[in-house]
Amino acid sequence: MSAGMGEADFLEALKSKLGDKILRASVMGPRRVAITVKPGDHRIAIEALKAFGGSHVSTITGTDMGESIEIAYHVWCYQAKIEASIKAEVPKSSPSIETISDLIPGSMLYEAEARDLLGIEFKGLPYEGRLILPEDWPEGVYPLRKDWKPDWLR
Amino acid sequence: MTTTDLIIGPQHPALHEPERFVLKLDGEYVVDVVPRIGYVHRGIEKAAELRSYIQDVYLIERICGICNVAHSLVYVQTVEALQGFEIPPRAAYLRTVVHELNRIHSHLLLLGVVGELFGFDTLFMYLWRDRELVMDVVESITGNRLISAFNVLGGVARDVGPSQISEAKRAMEYLRRRMKFYKKVFAEDPTVEKRSKGVGILKPSSALSLCAVGPVIRGSGIKTDVRADDPYAAYGEIPFNVITYDTNDSWARFMVRVDEVFESIGIIEYALDRLPDGPIRARFPRRVREGEAFGRVEAPRGELVDHIISKGGDKPYRFKCRTPTLANILAACEMMRGGQIADVPVSLSSIDPCFACEDRLAIIDVSKGERYSARIRDLMAKYGASR
Repeated sequence: MSAGMGEADFLEALKSKLGDKILRASVMGPRRVAITVKPGDHRIAIEALKAFGGSHVSTITGTDMGESIEIAYHVWCYQAKIEASIKAEVPKSSPSIETISDLIPGSMLYEAEARDLLGIEFKGLPYEGRLILPEDWPEGVYPLRKDWKPDWLR
Repeated sequence: MTTTDLIIGPQHPALHEPERFVLKLDGEYVVDVVPRIGYVHRGIEKAAELRSYIQDVYLIERICGICNVAHSLVYVQTVEALQGFEIPPRAAYLRTVVHELNRIHSHLLLLGVVGELFGFDTLFMYLWRDRELVMDVVESITGNRLISAFNVLGGVARDVGPSQISEAKRAMEYLRRRMKFYKKVFAEDPTVEKRSKGVGILKPSSALSLCAVGPVIRGSGIKTDVRADDPYAAYGEIPFNVITYDTNDSWARFMVRVDEVFESIGIIEYALDRLPDGPIRARFPRRVREGEAFGRVEAPRGELVDHIISKGGDKPYRFKCRTPTLANILAACEMMRGGQIADVPVSLSSIDPCFACEDRLAIIDVSKGERYSARIRDLMAKYGASR
């Protein structure tokens, strides 16, 4: 087992690989870093994490930020011992991004979950149909978006 | 190739919880598996966004009845990280003790259920009898057998006294003796061997690429454990071993849990012997500053994560939780592929499934090569009367 890396060293090493593809970078806390990239570049960023043992997708968070939806891929890097959150923002009017399930197959169900609950389209995702929501749930209604209120169920 | 569909679930595919798997069979052999989750999805992420940080402690603890301590622990740790808040050292040790007691009861519960699945009911009864002893210790320390709201923002809810410590240590001594016996049973008994050795193979490369967690990935020989790699609570100060087995089968995953109980006993004894003095709780603010935090703990079933985004105020803007069973579903499907139908329950139980998720129905029309979803009432209208 490796001893791991410091957060600042990790960000430096990642910057040398990704250059100006990184729009924002920050240290969230001990063993936690976050970087923001453009949609599309998220696949390059996730590939770059493999050099640090970044093969484990812990989860994918989709967040309704008002005008946009933020998609955060949380990847545990086994060698660096750092959880790197790769973020990309897509417009809420047409939330669409390429899948990463071909790069890391274990991310498939997390993408399917975010598609069900936030209406994000993951282009190339092999899992079809709904994962979480019932099949008689109406199309185009996404319960984790901020404009959806639980009163709707009453 | 023509295959037959066999639907396992949604009622009780392994433990007493709903989940559905569509198995594509060639005779007795499983060719492919399609999982569909969601029967018990309760919308807790949305509910957490509508409640205050303090109310959420009690909500999130109820995500899972078995590993409730892991859920409340990862939540309070993530909120504390968001605020940059340090808890008193005594609280960190007490959280560790209760987290490990929770792991022991969860592992004994699963190993007992596995005994029942093997047709070895005596083992089930023995294991669950000894599990009661752990529940008594949990009750004496936290005030309740399961849901106890022991972890609170800023520390823990109750302190322990000398009589509780000596009671807990006596129980651990007894349990260590019993676990030596159970380890012998799991390692040598022919029933266990015939039902679990070579069953549900998960190669290390598959375990890694499918992002498996906990005893599942450790049963494929990969040495990873959040407690060791990303220490929290008091784990940075307590020595313990990360258990791995490298036979990649259901037996390895059960043995990892058997050995982990010994490690948990050691952690509890070590922590109780070195409990720091001082307060058990510090005052935590009602409103949390803007920012985000990502928390991880090693729950009994593996890595459990929470991601919380705050825009200031007393409620989280976004609460995201990923339970270890969801991470292990794809690995479970991989274990079933190539095996026999009769091995499906053993493979599935070897991930110790805890379905805090939800499922409906997926249909595969093999003759046309199509897959689609349908409502049960539509199917009943189509097929119900004639069958």
